[in-house]
Amino acid sequence: MKLTLVSRSGREIVKGGIQLSDSATVADLQEAIYKRIKKHPSRQRLTLPVQPGSKERPVVLNYKKSLNDYTSGNSETLTLVFKDLGPQVSYRTLFFFEYLGPLLLYPVFYYLPVYQYFGYKGERVIQPVQTYALYYWCFHYAKRILETFFVHRFSHATSPLSNVFRNCAYYWCFGSYIAYYVNHPIIYPVSDLQMKIGFGFGILCQVSNFYCHIILRNLRGPAGEGGYQIPRGFLFNIVTCANYTTEIYQWLGFNIATQTIAGYLFLAVATFIMTNWALAKHRRLKKLFDGKEGRPRYPRRWVILPPFL
Amino acid sequence: MATSSVSCFEDIEGIGSRACLHCSRKAFALCSNCCCIRGLVRSPITATLPQIGSRLFLVWGILWSFPETRTHLLVSSLLISWSITEIIRYSFFGFKEAFGSAPSWLLWLRYSTFLILYPTGISSEVGLIYIALPFIKASEKYCIRMPNTWNSSFDYFYAAILVLGIYVPGSPHMYKYMLVQRKKALSKPKSE
Repeated sequence: MKLTLVSRSGREIVKGGIQLSDSATVADLQEAIYKRIKKHPSRQRLTLPVQPGSKERPVVLNYKKSLNDYTSGNSETLTLVFKDLGPQVSYRTLFFFEYLGPLLLYPVFYYLPVYQYFGYKGERVIQPVQTYALYYWCFHYAKRILETFFVHRFSHATSPLSNVFRNCAYYWCFGSYIAYYVNHPIIYPVSDLQMKIGFGFGILCQVSNFYCHIILRNLRGPAGEGGYQIPRGFLFNIVTCANYTTEIYQWLGFNIATQTIAGYLFLAVATFIMTNWALAKHRRLKKLFDGKEGRPRYPRRWVILPPFL
Repeated sequence: MATSSVSCFEDIEGIGSRACLHCSRKAFALCSNCCCIRGLVRSPITATLPQIGSRLFLVWGILWSFPETRTHLLVSSLLISWSITEIIRYSFFGFKEAFGSAPSWLLWLRYSTFLILYPTGISSEVGLIYIALPFIKASEKYCIRMPNTWNSSFDYFYAAILVLGIYVPGSPHMYKYMLVQRKKALSKPKSE
């Protein structure tokens, strides 16, 4: 089979095309392209050409499938559109560095005498709520790192390199911003009851969140196969993105206990980001599981935050 | 609104900085509202939001809050840059709404005057913020100090410095955006 590769503007990417056997897979093609133009398979995006003016989203080739699956009858030649996604980084690497920042930067504000440089000289008394907040925060980010390596099964192996800078900036800046206020020498601590309710509720949500991640993991095989499934069990029976729900509520617990504008601001931004993800996922699952052709129909569920959405 | 900008421009010579500031405040408040309804419909939010944000910040956050800055020369250059830009821009929109298309000389003006007026306007904005800094620090206006029940603080002085920092990547971004728009607009055959 002869494969012609063009860019989105019509320019031929590989002169003369690539010759492969008829039973070759997309992965074989990507390896062949890599040998010719030195772009790693993880940054190659291959799509079927769309009619000019068509509003349809192009079909992205799956690396596991055979090339024959994408030819419609004529299996002698196939033209594919190539896009270079830029340098890629594995999701595990991305998540590790994102979460490492908050894990290491927060204790700096607790243990080291940084507030002297902000003009607060003299003896510093650490409040109990600040100590519990430290444990809670570090437990949370240590849990996230461990989940990244041992629990999560990713649908995409990689993410663009630029996301490393953007995501790390988000987590590290917000982490430091919150750490500054929660560990402040003249913090106004909330009542003992409020602190216990906040942290207690938060821990409950963190454990629920972990269980949600285990459920999601079991929907997929070890190599990420299985694609999209309808999640079932526990909170997923009532909410599509129960993992995001529990994450949001656990930050709420932290903020109830520590009461800073910085913390609530972070909660608001994180909720906004996760809600966008949840809406996309909910829409995708509803579209995929439409009840036709033997596929189950996606049940009626809240998207992310009952009773609002 | 274009006319109020024009009369404001003449006022700079005539009545003095106080009246000028008053009418410019009204003009720009209206401008911003129209920007929101009109501008956001056509342009990406990364181009209109910085523009609106910087206008509001300069007018209310610097000029209105710190009267000591109003007599500076940069206020004149600021208002001249903004006024000329807005007169051309809204005349352009006005023509398009009323007649369906704008004359080619107006199109040219709209996509060429920014080459000078963006640098002068941005320099005036940055300059005025910089000049206001000592007054911001001394007055402690809009500052929130610890301790308080919400465990938060806000220091307007450092926030203003952060804003100055945003101008560093922000100005090339805005200028490049306009250059791209210029190329697109002026290379099209006849009317848009």
